[in-house]
Amino acid sequence: MNRFLKMFALAACAVMLVALAACSGGEKAEEKPAEKTEAAAPAEEAKPIKAGFVYVSPIGDAGYSYAHDQGRKAVAEMDGVETSFVESVMEGADSERVIRNMANDGFDIIFATSFGYMDPMKRVAKEFPDTAFMHCSGFKTAENMSNYFGRMYQARYLTGLVAGSMTKSNEIGYVAAFPIPEVIRGINAFTLGVKEVNPEAQVRVVWTKTWYDPALEKDAAVALLDKGCDVIAQHQDSPGPQEAAQERGVYSVGYNSDMSGFAPKAHLTAAIWNWAPLYTEAVQQVKDGNWKGNQSLWVGMDKGVVDIAPLGDMVPEDVKKMVEEKKAELAKGNDIVFVGPIKNQKGEVVLEEGKKADDGQLLGMNYFIEGVVGNTE
Amino acid sequence: MTELIVPLLAATVQSGTPVLFATLGEMFTEKGGILNLGVEGMMSVAAFAAFVTAYMTGSPWLGFIAGGIAGMLMATLHGIVCISCLGNQVVSGLALTILGVGLTKFLGTPYIGMAAPGFDKFAFPLLSDIPVLGNIFFRHDALVYVSFIIPVLFWFFFRRTSLGMAITATGEYPQAAAAAGLKPVRLRYLAVGVGGFLVGLGGAYLSLAYTHLWTNGLSGGRGWIAVALVIFAFWRPGRAVIGAYLFGGVMAFQLRLQASGTNLPSSLLLMLPYALTIIVLVFSAFRGRGTEAPAALGTNIEPEG
Amino acid sequence: MTLGFKLKKRDEPWQWGAPIILAGALLFSFIVSSLLLEGQGKSALDGLYILWTGAFGSAFAFQGTFLKAVPIFMCSLGVAVAFRMQIWNIGAEGQFALGAIGATWMALTFPNMPWYGQLPLMFIMAFIFGGIWAFIPAFLRLKLHVNEIISTLMLNYIAILLLEYLVFGVWRDPSSFGFPMTVEFSEGGIIAGIAGTRYHWGIIFCAIVGVLLWAFMRFTRMGFELKASGEGPRVARYAGMPYGFLVIFVMCVSGGLAGWAGAIETSAILGRLQPSLMVGYGYTAIVVAWLARLEPRNIAFAAFLLAALRVGVENMQLKMQIPAAFGEIMEGIILLSVLAGQLFLTYRLERKQDSAREA
Repeated sequence: MNRFLKMFALAACAVMLVALAACSGGEKAEEKPAEKTEAAAPAEEAKPIKAGFVYVSPIGDAGYSYAHDQGRKAVAEMDGVETSFVESVMEGADSERVIRNMANDGFDIIFATSFGYMDPMKRVAKEFPDTAFMHCSGFKTAENMSNYFGRMYQARYLTGLVAGSMTKSNEIGYVAAFPIPEVIRGINAFTLGVKEVNPEAQVRVVWTKTWYDPALEKDAAVALLDKGCDVIAQHQDSPGPQEAAQERGVYSVGYNSDMSGFAPKAHLTAAIWNWAPLYTEAVQQVKDGNWKGNQSLWVGMDKGVVDIAPLGDMVPEDVKKMVEEKKAELAKGNDIVFVGPIKNQKGEVVLEEGKKADDGQLLGMNYFIEGVVGNTE
Repeated sequence: MTELIVPLLAATVQSGTPVLFATLGEMFTEKGGILNLGVEGMMSVAAFAAFVTAYMTGSPWLGFIAGGIAGMLMATLHGIVCISCLGNQVVSGLALTILGVGLTKFLGTPYIGMAAPGFDKFAFPLLSDIPVLGNIFFRHDALVYVSFIIPVLFWFFFRRTSLGMAITATGEYPQAAAAAGLKPVRLRYLAVGVGGFLVGLGGAYLSLAYTHLWTNGLSGGRGWIAVALVIFAFWRPGRAVIGAYLFGGVMAFQLRLQASGTNLPSSLLLMLPYALTIIVLVFSAFRGRGTEAPAALGTNIEPEG
Repeated sequence: MTLGFKLKKRDEPWQWGAPIILAGALLFSFIVSSLLLEGQGKSALDGLYILWTGAFGSAFAFQGTFLKAVPIFMCSLGVAVAFRMQIWNIGAEGQFALGAIGATWMALTFPNMPWYGQLPLMFIMAFIFGGIWAFIPAFLRLKLHVNEIISTLMLNYIAILLLEYLVFGVWRDPSSFGFPMTVEFSEGGIIAGIAGTRYHWGIIFCAIVGVLLWAFMRFTRMGFELKASGEGPRVARYAGMPYGFLVIFVMCVSGGLAGWAGAIETSAILGRLQPSLMVGYGYTAIVVAWLARLEPRNIAFAAFLLAALRVGVENMQLKMQIPAAFGEIMEGIILLSVLAGQLFLTYRLERKQDSAREA
């Protein structure tokens, strides 16, 4: 009898779990009606262009994938275009299957937005010569596969100018995910900005080995704050470091999108992505039949793909003005970030006076410059 | 020196607290003879339940309680499978973790990046003025102060109350306990439920105090660390406190080592907490030889007939 | 007056019990997950249909499922061997990583060797590395009574960080622009596809290993000893069996098999070592092993089932925007209900006699 009752308890538990789901689920349906209508919207033209997006993390995080998804939404607004996406796709074998599925499903153009999708995408591209493949942040191309990325380091440099102007302790903390060139380049550009306005300051780096873990990122930021840092920058997808800075009453620099909502008192600015121009252009090319493979698009502020969030009220007018001027220079297409002389951490000159780093040097950057405290392993 | 050590120890208390709740919860469960490896899953679900409740009601305390209840419900599932249906405790716990982590991701994804009202740090009146110790222990959020009381209650419950002793008896010799007129099945359900509640509080701490933002991977392996710490602690609440803070300390320490510009590779530093867990188990094995575990831990009570 | 049921031990095991319980568990899990879908305002029937087509709907989908099942199958064989002896090896994930590291080491050291030299070396080293990673917890358990659940689990985390350390450091391909990956293996280090398809020879290898393991457990004296020791160390000791040796042996085999899975996945699917190798096959393997009731024959089936679930869920995501975690929920519920259901293998419900009437 006793035991039988408990079988009922099992059922009751299941019902409770479902009830929990229903409560939260109902809310979701209200919050995100847009997605559904997009997917189901009947195309007016005979054969709509289908654009697929593969994301490495969930899109709700105000982070990296969120920024890409904002770009997708702009694409979905276009006439005669349908979009769909798959989020949280593991790199490696899983992504190959997802991309192949999309290609097999008749998608005309597929955007894979993480580095680890490169080899899988290249393999799938071989099997589907009529589909356009776009890979973000890699270096391989094919007849029907191009790669693209943004010169985020330009925005990083501008945020470095702000951070360098605002620090009083001359210690700036940088919470970073993985020691790959993209991140290292960003840290170096940021440091160049910092040193330009404040040669005394140094940038301390802590690696978390994760893109998204608010608790750990916050802990890392706190460790930096305890070390005396009074500005916290990040190459992470969560606002954890922002939160830590706000709690301590110091400043922070965000990443991916405007993070000021999470830390209004601390948030100086953020280095942000704006994929809409690049994505709509590529999809338009597919529509018009003039999309090309074998391209490497590495675009920056001139195309508006990277930008910085509006500077906070605590930033003095003269700093705002200086940043505006530098930004205007970058927007003209004049890349003023990695210009010699640049020394590495040992003090050896890696880029001679007056020389500009070429794209090869930038793409393979795996050393820190002078002024960074930390190592690249 | 103190200006380096004190923040380190304060951070230690902070990162140790969720693990402490979870360790005590698992310990409570194991006292009754049930091994529940689902701590990681329970913590995840509890963190989510706590977050959603705080988000909807605006009350962090309600969220805290909701986290405990969610942990208890998850634990009850484990109880049904293991106590009533005599399922394998090890595998059931793993299943609970898979279910819990999956459920959290499934339900939690729409909430990622949202913020809920949580617990903020405040200086505990009077006590925070104690030199050094005040800065380490009494400038945290309210839940940290709650976590100071629970080990004491835990100790009192198992040492001084008849119910606590009955649970201990069930964990040691359920047949003898039954012969003495106790109801082992009920007592085990009680241990699993209360333990789940405590684990749930640990989960709630993650989403309400550690960070106020929702994300899916909040528990990040802490549940498993808790399971290990129970063994390290020889099923004693006092040692659970030491173990939890030791773990928190290593985590806080390696980040500070990086911040001060060490040349050690970060991968190796991040291994520290996990390697330390094994080392700690090895050392406790030298002292305890594993004989202090409840004798009937992990074995089910076969029904008669 | 009470009218109810009580449990009565069966005189002999329920003959068709296991498949019926599995079917019941699947059904229960479908019901609960359907309710979850409906709760989110999505059609459950559509969802399950899309799940099905995503896993089996086309030759394409089937291929994806099959390939996904291979590493799970291999890890699960290893897990099952250990579980047979009541050694709770949760460390297949880490042993998988170490196997991949071992294989990669050989592939990077002897890139000029032809396949018949390079591949055997890779497999040998993968087995050794995976085996060592499992030997550590086995040794700690025997000598120091360190709980193997915890030690294997912690070694998983360490293994993944070790893998990262290597591909971010000494093994990083200098031409990859600093991205964390080794160079691509030479042709001799890559397991070839079968007749131009994506099916590769590693599958045949797995099948052979599966058959051998089954035969070993079934027909050899040692296989019998292993099964007997599963009843507990005391039984084993009374029977005069070298329990300690068996534990070490079983764990090393278990780790070695997971190591092979890592080698196959690295060589045949990725063609190089990179962190994205680690997607949790080691944990799925535990579920598979238990669903299969630790029988090698059933493991092939269960591995395929769970691979189908994981692959099918991707399709649900693409077509219905359902989070991938949906598959994990189903996995968890299936396993929990199978565990609960196994009660009826040894017990049956019997009407309670009405005590009032008896009196």
